[in-house]
Amino acid sequence: MLKLFQTLNRVAFIKATIAALAVVILVFIGSRNLQNFDAALIAYLFGTIFAVFGIAYRYSVWLQRPPTRLYWRRSMQFLFSKDFITYASRSVYLLFRNILFQRFIAYRSRTRWWGHFLLATGCLLSFAITVPLTFGWIHFTLEPGSYEIYNANFFGFKVGSFELGGLISILAFKALFLTSFPVIIGAVIMMKRRVKDGGVIATQSLEGDWLPLVLLIAISVTGLGIGYDYTFLDGRTHQFMAVTHAITVILFLIWMPFGKFFHIFQRLAQLGANLYKIEGKKRGMAVCPHTKEEFATQTHINDLKRVTKEVGFDFTLADGSSHLDLSPEGKRSALAKAHFEARQASGKFFG
Amino acid sequence: MPSSTKYDQQMGFFIDMQRCIGCHACEMACAECETNGQESMIHIHYVERAVSTQTTVQVCMHCEDPACANVCPADAISKDEFGVVHTAETSRCIGCSNCVLACPFGVPQKQEKAELMMKCNMCYDRTSAGKKPMCATVCPSQALFYGTREEIEKKRPDSVPVDTFFFGEQEVKTKVKIMMPKGSNYLKVQ
Amino acid sequence: MAKLPVSAEKIIKQYGPKKNYTPLGGFEGSNEPDRLVKTHCCFCGMQCGIQLKVKDNQIAGFEPWMEFPFNEGRLCPKGVQRYLQNNHPDRILSPLQRVEGKGFEPIDWESAMGRTVNEIKRIQSTYGNDAFAMLSGVSLTNEKSYMVGKFARLALKTKNLDYNGRLCMVSAGAGNKKAFGLDRISNSWADLKHAKVIIIAGTNISECFPTLTHYIWEARDNGAKLIVVDPRVTPIARTADLHLPVKPGRDSALFGAILKQLVDNDWLDHDFIDYHTSGFEEAIDAVKEYDLDWAEATTGIDKEKIRLAAEWWGKADTSFLLHARGIEHHTKGVDNVVSCINIVLATGRIGKPYCGYGTITGQGNGQGGREHGHKCDQLPGNRDITNPEHRKYIAEVWGVEEKEIPGKGLSAYEIIEAIHRGEIKGLISICFNPLVSLPNNNFVREALEKLEYYMCIDFFLNETARHADVIMAGSLHEEEDGTVTTAEGRVVKINQAITPPGQARKDSDILIELAQRLGAGDKFNYSKAEDIFNELRVASKGGTADYYGITYKKIEENMGIFWPCPSEDHPGTPRLWEDKKFKTPDGKAHFNAVPYREPSEVTDKEFPVTLTTGRVVSQYLSGTQTRRIGKLVDQYPEPLLEIHPSLAQQFGIKERELVRVSTRRGEAVFPAQIVETIRPDTVFIPYHWGGSQSANQLTIGTLDPVSKIPEFKVCACKLEPLKKWAAPSTDSLAFQSHETLKP
Repeated sequence: MLKLFQTLNRVAFIKATIAALAVVILVFIGSRNLQNFDAALIAYLFGTIFAVFGIAYRYSVWLQRPPTRLYWRRSMQFLFSKDFITYASRSVYLLFRNILFQRFIAYRSRTRWWGHFLLATGCLLSFAITVPLTFGWIHFTLEPGSYEIYNANFFGFKVGSFELGGLISILAFKALFLTSFPVIIGAVIMMKRRVKDGGVIATQSLEGDWLPLVLLIAISVTGLGIGYDYTFLDGRTHQFMAVTHAITVILFLIWMPFGKFFHIFQRLAQLGANLYKIEGKKRGMAVCPHTKEEFATQTHINDLKRVTKEVGFDFTLADGSSHLDLSPEGKRSALAKAHFEARQASGKFFG
Repeated sequence: MPSSTKYDQQMGFFIDMQRCIGCHACEMACAECETNGQESMIHIHYVERAVSTQTTVQVCMHCEDPACANVCPADAISKDEFGVVHTAETSRCIGCSNCVLACPFGVPQKQEKAELMMKCNMCYDRTSAGKKPMCATVCPSQALFYGTREEIEKKRPDSVPVDTFFFGEQEVKTKVKIMMPKGSNYLKVQ
Repeated sequence: MAKLPVSAEKIIKQYGPKKNYTPLGGFEGSNEPDRLVKTHCCFCGMQCGIQLKVKDNQIAGFEPWMEFPFNEGRLCPKGVQRYLQNNHPDRILSPLQRVEGKGFEPIDWESAMGRTVNEIKRIQSTYGNDAFAMLSGVSLTNEKSYMVGKFARLALKTKNLDYNGRLCMVSAGAGNKKAFGLDRISNSWADLKHAKVIIIAGTNISECFPTLTHYIWEARDNGAKLIVVDPRVTPIARTADLHLPVKPGRDSALFGAILKQLVDNDWLDHDFIDYHTSGFEEAIDAVKEYDLDWAEATTGIDKEKIRLAAEWWGKADTSFLLHARGIEHHTKGVDNVVSCINIVLATGRIGKPYCGYGTITGQGNGQGGREHGHKCDQLPGNRDITNPEHRKYIAEVWGVEEKEIPGKGLSAYEIIEAIHRGEIKGLISICFNPLVSLPNNNFVREALEKLEYYMCIDFFLNETARHADVIMAGSLHEEEDGTVTTAEGRVVKINQAITPPGQARKDSDILIELAQRLGAGDKFNYSKAEDIFNELRVASKGGTADYYGITYKKIEENMGIFWPCPSEDHPGTPRLWEDKKFKTPDGKAHFNAVPYREPSEVTDKEFPVTLTTGRVVSQYLSGTQTRRIGKLVDQYPEPLLEIHPSLAQQFGIKERELVRVSTRRGEAVFPAQIVETIRPDTVFIPYHWGGSQSANQLTIGTLDPVSKIPEFKVCACKLEPLKKWAAPSTDSLAFQSHETLKP
């Protein structure tokens, strides 16, 4: 991971710096020049800014890779085409289906989907709450002249008010406690799989697969600890609870660009892959010269011929055609035929 | 990948499709490999049934410089310290099929509904525990052979293991070897 | 009254065949089984070693058994998928009885047993003891085969007991007895690896015995030349050094011609012929006219290829000849077998290292099952039921008077014919699905419909069982201990992994209770499989198939023991005839004169095409087991008509066009598969399916006069393209054996 920084990527560095600065600026604007900023959250803020920088840097480096760049460009090209409405609505549908609900996982295993869905939903909701709070974008104030009515302010503008002790207030102030439960349940389901499934056991790693789960549970448990402290211990252990929670969250934030959690951002590319397929089908399918059947979109094959060359593979054949014109079955048959012919040339089919 | 492994680097994978009898035992056994969860990753089919009973059988060749990993937009495919090219990391794979279409051996498969690529990882659950891969264990013709180079050279004196392929001018070197007539150094496909 | 109680569709809906698949991620507990049980595959005669994973008294998967010497972990697709029979939705979990208009309904064991015994008594008191017959099978262990023989003779008191080995290796058995006086392959497979010339005749090893392929390939690595005799280019023939595409039914002409070549070129072992054989002069006299031109005209094989085969065989230092059903399923099956043996004897290559000959037994216990007395003419130890001394010995072992043992009965197909004639009125079957596996099965169905009472023991409701009055829920291979004898003569141990599910019972327990109720309980005092085996050992003692020295302990310690093994300190006999003392009355190996004769039905103007049948790799015999395993069905979903492009062109047949194939016995429709890998005058259809797509509606029921094997492998047919195209194979319901073809 550190090799990312061994050779500094200028473009990425600039983009990441811009992203981080943009966040800082938005924090200033959103918190009305830090007026609404909660100083107790300063560590979280720095953690988040670092995460934004890191994610933007890695995302930018990632997008520079030829296959990724191609997908990115194609996705944008298809999305902002005359079919914008079709593709935009398709993207929204897929955003719900694949990103928010991760339905594709269910086809591998239903339990695994439940685990991942709970985990992801818990995390995403928590982000949705903590990020605006940390940035000072949202803050709560007492309605002047009242001890029961709270106002919620966004970017310094009042967006709503609610009565203390009411359902909304409980949801608003305890939301993070509620979101920690799906995270814990989801993580436990995923962990159970990691101790039971022989295939997963063989290929999993500590830092790639176990630590993320452990960390998420740690964040949730320490977060619940804060609530436990002020509900049952009258805040006597607040300091300890707050510090441990902050440590786990900041670890998470710092790790986000490098480790497993980066996949949250990569997953968006799945939308592009879907659009690419839909548009490709419209433009026409490639037919395998061996099986005589359609096997992929011609756009995809043409693009791949370019991308493979960019990454150092040239599958052009002597007759000017490409090995990539063959379907996977066609390629396997071509290899088998070549092998058969080599045997035949040696005088024996068997050897 | 886990560090506690009994992966034996002396062992190699050798294929000779001309010995294949097309029985599909490998395909059935492949599904039993725990890393695949009942999906079969090996490919076995007739080459051209109308003219011949020739079949071909294809596992992942575990290229030295895998085209699949190079064309993956999501960095989902990785090669480990033993040269095993692993199946797509499920959290990253976006199901784009670049690897499926770029692999010169036609190996990776797209699980359409799961929007996930899967491929042979040399039965990592078994090889990392010092066992043979399922397909090569059950293969009744031993068209798929897993053992040491010395073993196969002794058993099959008329053949030589080859790890270099040419597709046009493109050279591809692989961890898995193909058994060729004595004296061959490479297999050229078209 | 053994007609179907309701439509076949309704029976299929309830009892299958349904396709069983392992769930995604495997069966519960396949990751952490309670134990691994070392046993063997339940299918062909190779009897590959395999370990079954057991979790909570269910089979959860398999693990290769690397140490078992024959297969060292190797398996075919059927072996890999065998574990799906347990955990199967079609499994019969209690006895069933036929209810007219309703189908089959579960009953308790008391009713099933009581009714069966009453019917046996009624039929036997009305029509005589022999009017009740029994059909058995050789997927059964040695213990069960032995017990069935004893049960039919002592409890059922009928002479009419035969088995489905009658469709399998009886021609080979009869030929071997004629030539050697003993019926077993001469060598273990280990010798095959070092033979310099291997002839495989009429055996699609690549699909029927896939795990034997490794031995053939190793032999080739060691320099062997491979000669394959087969009308089709099977996968094993594809790379063979010499492929002889024989016209079906002409095998003895080919081997006669080869014998003549050996004689003409003096590629003979004169010492061996002179000292250890008899009948040589008569044998060569019978082939003196069979020159290469005649052979080419008769067999349809290029004469140069025949000459080359003879030369390779004649000049070889070591050799192995193997054959299977391809040459045995004929009205001259025994002739074909002895014509092969003649060329082995002429070159003296037997009883020596790397020199061998044998048949490749098709069924799981085809070898052991044909030795211990559930054949109509046989008593345990491969004794002859008509031989007074043999009868006396077995009577002593069984503790009965010699006259209490019935005489020789009818063979399997003859039993069906006798049922059709109304002479046999009642039937018990176990491990046999004659409605799919016997030839001319429309005739078989008519016969079944005439039965007054039919009881079937099985774990799945096979096609024949649809006609039963009562079905008793029996046991799978993995649900009972026992032994089987592999095709190489190795006696191996089958280990029980689980108990039968629901109210199903072990087959042996069913037979024991029936025997008790028939008043013969004192003859069936067995508490476990080993008790039966120990009695079998004594019963086989002194017979040609002598198991006396084999014990369960010895088998397990040595991963199998090769019979004959006459005493406990005897190590067993992997290679026969090293002493050149053959088991014939004169102690010599016998040549047999084989004058060529035609198959029972030859092509003519009306039926101009030769039809042959056989197997595919993903299915096993009548498919009762394998047509219920999803992936095996999907691999080859429906029977196809394999036809050469030139013949297809002649009839105007296109790829996947539906073609009506008719013979004098019936007709059926199959999708065409046009391939260059078959003789242009022959079509091939695999036979594993029942109902409207059963190839055995077409085959002929004529029998070999000696072995009584039917002529499955050759008859005459005509072809009519229907100008309609078959639906995709993947949609086919052929595996369920429907009565009519789905459009």
